[in-house]
Amino acid sequence: MSMKKDYASPDEYGLADLLCCAAARDVRDNEVVFAGTGLPMVAIMLAQKTHAPNLKLIFEAGSIGALPLELPTSVGDARCEVGASVSSGLHDTFSIAQRGEVDLGYLGGAEVDEYGNVNCTVIGDYLDPDLRLTGSGGSPDINSFAKRTVFIMLHEKRRFTTNVSYITSPGWRLKKWPGGEWVHRRELYGSAFRGGPSAVISTAGVFRFDEETGRMYLDTCHPGHSPNEINDLCQFELDISRVNGETVPPTREDLHFIHDVLDPEQLFIPKVKKG
Amino acid sequence: MSASKRITVQEAAEIIKDDSILTFSGFTIWRRPFAVVYELIRQKRKGLHLIEVNGGSHSEFLVGAGCVAIWESCWIGHELYGKYGANLSRKVKNKEIIVEDYSHMELEFRFAAAAAGAPFSVTQTALGTDIHNPEYDMLGRAGLRDGQRIGKQKYQFIDDPFFGAGQQVLCPAAKVAIALMAVQQVGEEGTVRVAGQYYADPEVARAADTTIVMAEEIVPEEYLRREADRNSVPSFEVDYILECPFGAHPSGMFGRYDVDGAFLKDFYTNTRTQEGFDAFAKEWIHGHDHMSYLEKLGWPRMLTLRANTALNYSTNVKRGQ
Repeated sequence: MSMKKDYASPDEYGLADLLCCAAARDVRDNEVVFAGTGLPMVAIMLAQKTHAPNLKLIFEAGSIGALPLELPTSVGDARCEVGASVSSGLHDTFSIAQRGEVDLGYLGGAEVDEYGNVNCTVIGDYLDPDLRLTGSGGSPDINSFAKRTVFIMLHEKRRFTTNVSYITSPGWRLKKWPGGEWVHRRELYGSAFRGGPSAVISTAGVFRFDEETGRMYLDTCHPGHSPNEINDLCQFELDISRVNGETVPPTREDLHFIHDVLDPEQLFIPKVKKG
Repeated sequence: MSASKRITVQEAAEIIKDDSILTFSGFTIWRRPFAVVYELIRQKRKGLHLIEVNGGSHSEFLVGAGCVAIWESCWIGHELYGKYGANLSRKVKNKEIIVEDYSHMELEFRFAAAAAGAPFSVTQTALGTDIHNPEYDMLGRAGLRDGQRIGKQKYQFIDDPFFGAGQQVLCPAAKVAIALMAVQQVGEEGTVRVAGQYYADPEVARAADTTIVMAEEIVPEEYLRREADRNSVPSFEVDYILECPFGAHPSGMFGRYDVDGAFLKDFYTNTRTQEGFDAFAKEWIHGHDHMSYLEKLGWPRMLTLRANTALNYSTNVKRGQ
């Protein structure tokens, strides 16, 4: 166990490793976790191998309480079913979410605003888009009902935007339809309100939210980034008054699990070439 | 036993007429009925309205080939092997297709409503998002909300009248005409046995007026009825059956074969343009039938994809690079 706090030096890990480990640390043991495809899967399975061995992993395609031997490439993958408590379908997994049984969801996105509204539908005007993206998938559904949701994103100024092109996944301040006036998430979700986006983990830092104002603040900077520099990478004025130091780097044990056990094929996390 | 439900790949495609509302089994790049999808492209089907719990590579093929007028769903892409649906994206930009967005859960529950004979679904999901922006009712904008198969409204809000739980969203049932499914086993009379995660298949099969099941193998009905608790769709809900081994390639099938990631990556990389799509279709679809397609793939490739019978996925396939 002496290996556990043995932090890797900066030349031993890449940005994807750092993001994966930061994401894994948001999982608490015994939680019910809803996994999206990609890096989130590696993060959750890393938590499962380290500090959260009793987490319950749900894949929205139907596998509930899974213990995959190999990293799935998507949530519909045959690999998702290994070790599952129940193999079912989407009606079951989304019902579980709406029922309020999910603690944590992990998702990605193309754009985010300061209230944690995330876009993965279009870039530009929805009615005349510059680029149509994949669309929502289960992002709004998981994020509507999980107590906490973590987004993992590439950090570019155009992506940390004042107004997302399209609100795909609901943040802390939202439009009340049909009128479209902005209200706090709590007012909209009634008895289904259980929380919301709890963190954005970008390639520059880790961001969290003030639940009352709904505003994003900088929590930790990734090594090599300063709060002011990260603020400059946002279109909106980022709250940098609550910075809590640097993002904790991966341990050597984390790197061992990521590269030797979970993702040896480098499907989502490339290995750092030394030297 | 009633009259035989057996048909061919060609006949399956012929049942799906121009302008039909169509849906599929599976999930993104798993258990998609590709053999019939390719045949629809060969037969130059037009005007299809796809309503899908989620889209995937098969939707990209149909959209690229110009078979689709309306795509109503929540997601399209090739997962690890292609990050978005480039053919759909191109047609959206050129305004050659209507896209109607709902959330994943809304679509699932719209199928569950149709499967239960109910007119609408009720959920509390995606509140406050642009999915519920009234300006973005694309079927309404196109004047297509006739209240026949397409609901008169995209959604409606109500406050919970029973428990005061707050705002609820009603969405119209997914009244699809045809469900085209790819599964592991179907009985001679139509009983379906799906192995692995069953995604939205039970709802999809029941929601459709006509259900066509393409299976890796047609098995004696009596064999499936020995363990009825393992079956997913009752025989009388299935109208037509066909046997088509490797019929879901390049998508994967639990217990049978893995996703052909190299094939999907090649498709994604080379079909950004219409010319690229047409060249890909010329190579892999036109002038082929299912057997000549498999011959072109070749045994070594198919054996590499073949699932390990203990694990239900391939231990030989290279998934990276």
